[in-house]
Amino acid sequence: MKTLVIFCHPSPNSFAAAVLDTSVAALHAAGHDVRVTDLYAEGFNPAFSAHDHEHHLDDPSTKPDIASHAANLRWCESLVLVYPTWWAGQPAMLKGWIDRVWVNGVAWQLPADGNRLRPLLHNIRRLHVVTTHGSSKWINALEGEGGKRTALRSLRVLCSPRCRTRWIALYNIDRSTLEQRNEFLRRVTAQLSK
Amino acid sequence: MRAVVVLTHPREQSFTRAACDAAVRGLERAGHEVTFFDLYAMGFQPAMTNAEIVAYHSDEPILDPLVAQSAAALRAAQILVFVYPTWWSGLPAMLKGWLEKTMVPGVGFVFNKNHRVRPGLTHVRRIVGISTYGSPRAYVKAVNDNGRRTLMRALRLQTGLRLRSTWLPFYAIDTSTAEQRADFLARVESRMASL
Repeated sequence: MKTLVIFCHPSPNSFAAAVLDTSVAALHAAGHDVRVTDLYAEGFNPAFSAHDHEHHLDDPSTKPDIASHAANLRWCESLVLVYPTWWAGQPAMLKGWIDRVWVNGVAWQLPADGNRLRPLLHNIRRLHVVTTHGSSKWINALEGEGGKRTALRSLRVLCSPRCRTRWIALYNIDRSTLEQRNEFLRRVTAQLSK
Repeated sequence: MRAVVVLTHPREQSFTRAACDAAVRGLERAGHEVTFFDLYAMGFQPAMTNAEIVAYHSDEPILDPLVAQSAAALRAAQILVFVYPTWWSGLPAMLKGWLEKTMVPGVGFVFNKNHRVRPGLTHVRRIVGISTYGSPRAYVKAVNDNGRRTLMRALRLQTGLRLRSTWLPFYAIDTSTAEQRADFLARVESRMASL
């Protein structure tokens, strides 16, 4: 499957980077065609600007700064997001990628007479999230799991109606042992090899 | 009380800006002392850098002077007001980044000796969220509202038990009428004057 991996962490020495390497290796081993976008490494600008706002209903062909991202989104059949969960959700860098790239003409269209978006990313049949949480599953439940809902509901509704989702998460990483982290990497391999 | 108002919108002229102005008017009418941050106008950099992640677990987790300014105001605040448009069911990246960078250990929360998170915002008595949505209310309730969850649940966990929260949503803005928008601004001002 054509697979787009979006990676969001500033450090190549982080555990998130190890999760990325494990994910990409598993996807390659399973025979997928993989493209990786490293948002920090390419210096992506996450702030939706006044210019973006003014032109947010314009055709995406008039937006050269997001062209490669839009092309990747239209190309892929499987989307994998790899990031640490911060303050109950996607880091600002990744949220900014969603704000700026999942725009009119790429991810959705707005009919002239309504305010319900019409999905455009029917090519995406799989949406997987690989993430780590500092706090426990219980605290995340209290916090409302905003990041999980943003990915598996808000983004998913713009993909294929039959798009399958998978949430692959390590909770409590702040208090985890090396063995638990290694176990998580094995789980990532197993899940992404399917 | 001392209030910190955080505005997030890229354009100088916007409905969000008008809602923010109404909130500040209401707060000042009630005698609160307002510190105002306009994240876009300040040129705030929302993406956490690697140096900031390294500093996060040190004694001095704040490197950016704009963050230091926000943190100083936060430590003295009893009222927090967030005014922003809901995008992709959540906070704009700019505001999410402000939370990540400002709510560091020693400001938003503290680690106890067992490395467990404990509230750092026990001095805050009110959290107010004022947000516009493109979607109608039913749709927001079905799939969305993760920005509200982030502020009213995740951030709230870092405050004391006596906190009261107020949520002022404006749904389906794309199909709203001028009269509905004017009503909303009046409601924001009066709610802020009687917190």
